Amino acid sequence: MLPHLDAAFNYACWLTKSSAEAEDVVQEACVRAMRFLSSLRDDNARAWLFAIVRNTWYSRVSRRANMPEVTPLDPARDERPDVALDPEEQLLQQHTVALVRAALEQLPADFREVIVLREFEGLSYKEIAAVVRVPVGTVMSRLARARERLMAVLKLATPTETLR
Amino acid sequence: MSCEHIERDLDSYLDRELDAATAMDVRGHLSECAACRRWVAEREALGRLVRTAPYYAAPDRLRARVLAQTTRSRSARRSLAWAAAAMLVVSVGAGGINLWRSAITRSDTIAADVVDSHVRSLMANHLFDVQSTDQHTVKPWFLGKLDFSPPVVDLASLGFPLVGGRLDYISGRPVAALVYQRQRHTINVFVSPAMNDVFPQTNVRSLRGFFIRRWVHDGMAFWAVSDLNEAELIQLCEALEAP
Repeated sequence: MLPHLDAAFNYACWLTKSSAEAEDVVQEACVRAMRFLSSLRDDNARAWLFAIVRNTWYSRVSRRANMPEVTPLDPARDERPDVALDPEEQLLQQHTVALVRAALEQLPADFREVIVLREFEGLSYKEIAAVVRVPVGTVMSRLARARERLMAVLKLATPTETLR
Repeated sequence: MSCEHIERDLDSYLDRELDAATAMDVRGHLSECAACRRWVAEREALGRLVRTAPYYAAPDRLRARVLAQTTRSRSARRSLAWAAAAMLVVSVGAGGINLWRSAITRSDTIAADVVDSHVRSLMANHLFDVQSTDQHTVKPWFLGKLDFSPPVVDLASLGFPLVGGRLDYISGRPVAALVYQRQRHTINVFVSPAMNDVFPQTNVRSLRGFFIRRWVHDGMAFWAVSDLNEAELIQLCEALEAP
């Protein structure tokens, strides 16, 4: 599972919206993954690990009566501005990235995760369906509705040339 | 074909989830419908925009904790099956997947080797011997290190920039490894002279969460491996096959 640790952590961050929480979830998920290693189908270890991360998170949530305050994601990380751009463009780019992040964080969790699994990890509908444990048709409708929402939010907030 | 008929397929079309015949219908419709073309362009722009969002890489302390845990639980459990399974996890980067190999064919062995090399290159932080986006730097670098000259092309224009190359070994033979990037995904393309004996056909398979594609072109055998999705990996491979 080490080769897929980045992917698992990224997914957990978007799921939990907290990097501290995500670390705990991924660590616990890896312990679980080892316990269930015999059930691993070698053709898709990555999707299998996503499924365990997801189960781990939801069982943690249900264990707690009320959720503690979460430390928000650290926006400074992984948002290195592109040095090839001039300062004004850099600012615009940072602004755009912040808008996109906010738009994603505002999505309901079940919409956000299908977007993350599809757009960042390139999972197929079938793989997403297996991770999220819903029929493929539900994956398609969630993706479509999530995109509609993002479209609505970002179109309002973004200069039109970015969307053209 | 009408717009409302096609509309429910457009997302699947962009996500490359349609079968060939339906995809062709959609392309046909798009060629004559400006409204749907605009819709598709907007969706593509949205995809590009969404992918600018941060990708949170696992912090080193988490990696260390998970590694420590893997080792600990191995010594804690005595069962033979468990030890074998845990070893599999620990040694996945060290090329030791003998367990997997026992019952599989030669082609599978090479595929497992390819995935091993790919994982090792990412884990050991040894992705390049020569780091350059210039094919005219990367290609000559292999001269004198290999007894063949691998074709090196930059595919930045297609969204797969070449980032470097290195010398690697697959099944005990030296091969050229070309490294391409797609967003946050790394693609290793291994090249060696084609041996006429094994598996002539092109195919895509998946192993341990990675997609692998193998093909032969101009007397060279290619293996491409990545955690990229299947469709995009095929796109890269096709570009390499027909430069």
